[in-house]
Amino acid sequence: MTKNSLKTGPDELGYYGEGESAMGGMAVGETLMPALHELNNGFEDAIKDKDFLDEFAYYCKHYIGRPSPLYYAENLTKKLGGAKILFKQEHLNHTGSHKITNSLFQILLAKRMGKSHLICESGAGQHYSATAAVAAKFSMPLIGVMGDIDVARVNQNIIKAKHYGAKLKTVPGTLKEAITDAIKTWTTNPEYAYICGSVVSSSPFPKIVAFAQSIIGREIREQSMSQEGKIPDMIVGCVGGGSNFAGAIYEFLDEPNVKKIGVEAHETAALTNGTPGIMQGMKTYMLQTDDGAKSLGGMSLGAGITYFSVGPLHSYLKDQGAVQYSSATDKEMLEAYKIIAQTEGICSALEPMAAAAEIIFRQAKDKPEDYIICLSLCGRGEKDLDTIQEHIGKDFE
Amino acid sequence: MSERLKKIFDSSNPKTKLVSYFVGCYPDYKTCLELIKQAIDNGVSIIECGYPTSEASAEGPVIKTAHDKVLENGDTIKDIIKLVREIRDYSNEVGIVMMGYISNLYKYPITEFVKDVDNAGIDACLVVDAPHELKEENILRKELNKKGLSLIKLVAPTTDDNRLQDIIKISSGFLYQVNVAGVTGVKSANETDVESFVKRIQGLTKIPICSGFGIKSPEDALKIAKTGCQGVIVGSAFVKYIQENITDKDLPSNLGKYIKSFTKELN
Repeated sequence: MTKNSLKTGPDELGYYGEGESAMGGMAVGETLMPALHELNNGFEDAIKDKDFLDEFAYYCKHYIGRPSPLYYAENLTKKLGGAKILFKQEHLNHTGSHKITNSLFQILLAKRMGKSHLICESGAGQHYSATAAVAAKFSMPLIGVMGDIDVARVNQNIIKAKHYGAKLKTVPGTLKEAITDAIKTWTTNPEYAYICGSVVSSSPFPKIVAFAQSIIGREIREQSMSQEGKIPDMIVGCVGGGSNFAGAIYEFLDEPNVKKIGVEAHETAALTNGTPGIMQGMKTYMLQTDDGAKSLGGMSLGAGITYFSVGPLHSYLKDQGAVQYSSATDKEMLEAYKIIAQTEGICSALEPMAAAAEIIFRQAKDKPEDYIICLSLCGRGEKDLDTIQEHIGKDFE
Repeated sequence: MSERLKKIFDSSNPKTKLVSYFVGCYPDYKTCLELIKQAIDNGVSIIECGYPTSEASAEGPVIKTAHDKVLENGDTIKDIIKLVREIRDYSNEVGIVMMGYISNLYKYPITEFVKDVDNAGIDACLVVDAPHELKEENILRKELNKKGLSLIKLVAPTTDDNRLQDIIKISSGFLYQVNVAGVTGVKSANETDVESFVKRIQGLTKIPICSGFGIKSPEDALKIAKTGCQGVIVGSAFVKYIQENITDKDLPSNLGKYIKSFTKELN
C-alpha cells in the first residue's frame, strides 16, 4: 500500500483522510475507550496470525459457503439491452446475506480475545440472525438490539435468531435507535464483545468490518477474471451503513477505471442530502438539524438501509471523488424487485434493489454489451415478503 | 483553569461539594431557571447544565426522557446558553459547567461556542463523547484554555493507570470520576469500589475529584463523600424528582428542600 492509496486509512485514531475534513475517529464515552483500544490491538494482532486467518477462511468456505457465485444475469441483461450484468450472489451465503462473514470474523476475534458474551445491533435483522447463528455455533450468549418498527417488519429473522438461542432487546424506533442503544448496552457491559454489523460507529469498527467484508471484492476480481477475462467496469451496491458495498469495492479502490456507485434509500440519503456531523461514535455525513441536536430522516421500505448516517469510509470516498453516491425510492426498489424476480427467478431483499434500480433505470441501457456491471446482491427476500405483498400484491397486477 | 472552580475547591465550606446536573430548559426555560436558583440557594456548589442530543449514548431512561422533551419543545443550545447567563447573573459564586455531547458543539462550531459560553459566564465544559483521541476534543480544549476555562475530563472504572495519567495531564478544574460502567441513573455505586478508585486517582494527582453515577439518595451521597473525594455529583435523582413532581406548583421550592437533604449531609 502506498501513501497515495485509498486503502491506507484509517490512521491509528480511526481517521480516514487528514486534517479537519478527516472522517471517522472515536467519539464515545470514556468507559468504552479502553475496550476500543483493546479491540484495535486484538484485531491488529489477529490479522498477523496465519492460524487465525486460516480458521476464518475454513469457516467461510464450510459454514458460510463462500465464495458466493458471480452470476451472469442473462435475462435481465437482454431485457435491458445494454451492459452485461453480473450478480455477486451474497444472498446465497448461509443465513441469507453478506452479514454473516463479518459476524463470523468478529466472533472468531472475540473468542481469540477471550470474550464470553456478545452484543449486536440490527436493522433488517440480517445481522442479528447471522450473528445469532455464529454465536450458537461457538456457544456464546448474544443480546441483539433492534427497533420495534423493524422487529415488526422482518419477523422471520427474529424467529430464526431466537431459535439459535439469542436474546432480543427491543427499543422504540429503527436501526438508528438500535445503534445508540447497543452502545449503551455495551457501556453497561464493557467486558462483552460488541459485534458491530456495519462499517459504522467508533474506530476500530469501520476498519474491522471493511476488512472482513473485503473478501467480497477479492472474490469478484478472481471470478470475473476467470469467467469474463476482465474485472468489472462498474460495481453498484446499496448503502445503509455501507458494509456490503465497502466489501465489494475495497479491492478496487485504487483502480479508478472501475466505476463505483453506492445507492442509499431516498429517505435517508446521508451522502446526497446530509452534512458532516459527529454522532454515534463517528464523524461522517448524516441527516441532522443544523444545530446538531437531532438526527433526522424518514422511513424506507428497506429496513437495512433506513439509516440517517453512513460509515465514515464512504464519506471519505465521496469527498475524494473516488466513489459516486445516489439514492433510490421505495417505488424504484419495488419495481426492480419485480423485474429481477420475473427475469431471473431471484427473490431479493429490498435493500439491494436500491442498487438494482440504479442499474436498471439509470446505468445499464446506454452501455455497450462488453461493459460489465456487477451488482452486489447482498440479501435474500424472505424477510420482506409481507412488505412486498402489501405494496405490490402477489400477482404483480 | 477556571479561577472560580479553584476557589470553590480551595474553600473548606462545604467539606464535600454537591455538583448537580440539570437538563437545560427542562421542563421549560422559566421553570428550569427557578429550579437552578433553588439549587444554588440550597447549597449546590457547581451546576452542570446539560444540552440535549437525540443520540446521546450515555444517558439512562430518566435523562433521555428529559432530553427528548427539550428537543420536542424546540429549545436549543443557544436558549440554554441564555439560561446560563441568567444563572450567572443570579450567582457570581456558583460553578457552572456546560455538559453534553460533541455533535452540537461541532455544528455550532466550536470556536463560536467557546466565545458564547465564555460571555455567558461559564467555568468549564464537559463533553461525554469526546475522549482526547478525538480531534474536536483537542480543538475545544485549546479554545477553552485560551479563555481560562476548563475542559472537565472523565475517568471510568475501566480506565487503567496509564490512561489515567494521560487524562490527568490534560485535566483542569476537577476530574469527573464515573463510579460504575453504565448509563446515567441505573446502577448503584458501591462505596468500596469508589473508595479504591479515589485512592488510585489520588496516588497520581492532587486535582479535585468529583464522584458521579449511581448516587441516588442523601445516604448514598454521604457514603461516597466519605471515600475521600472532593465532590459528589447527582443528576438522574434530581431530574427524576422533577419528572415525578412536574405538576406540583411549588416544584422549585420543594426541589430545593430535596436538594437540602443532600447538602446537609455534606457539610
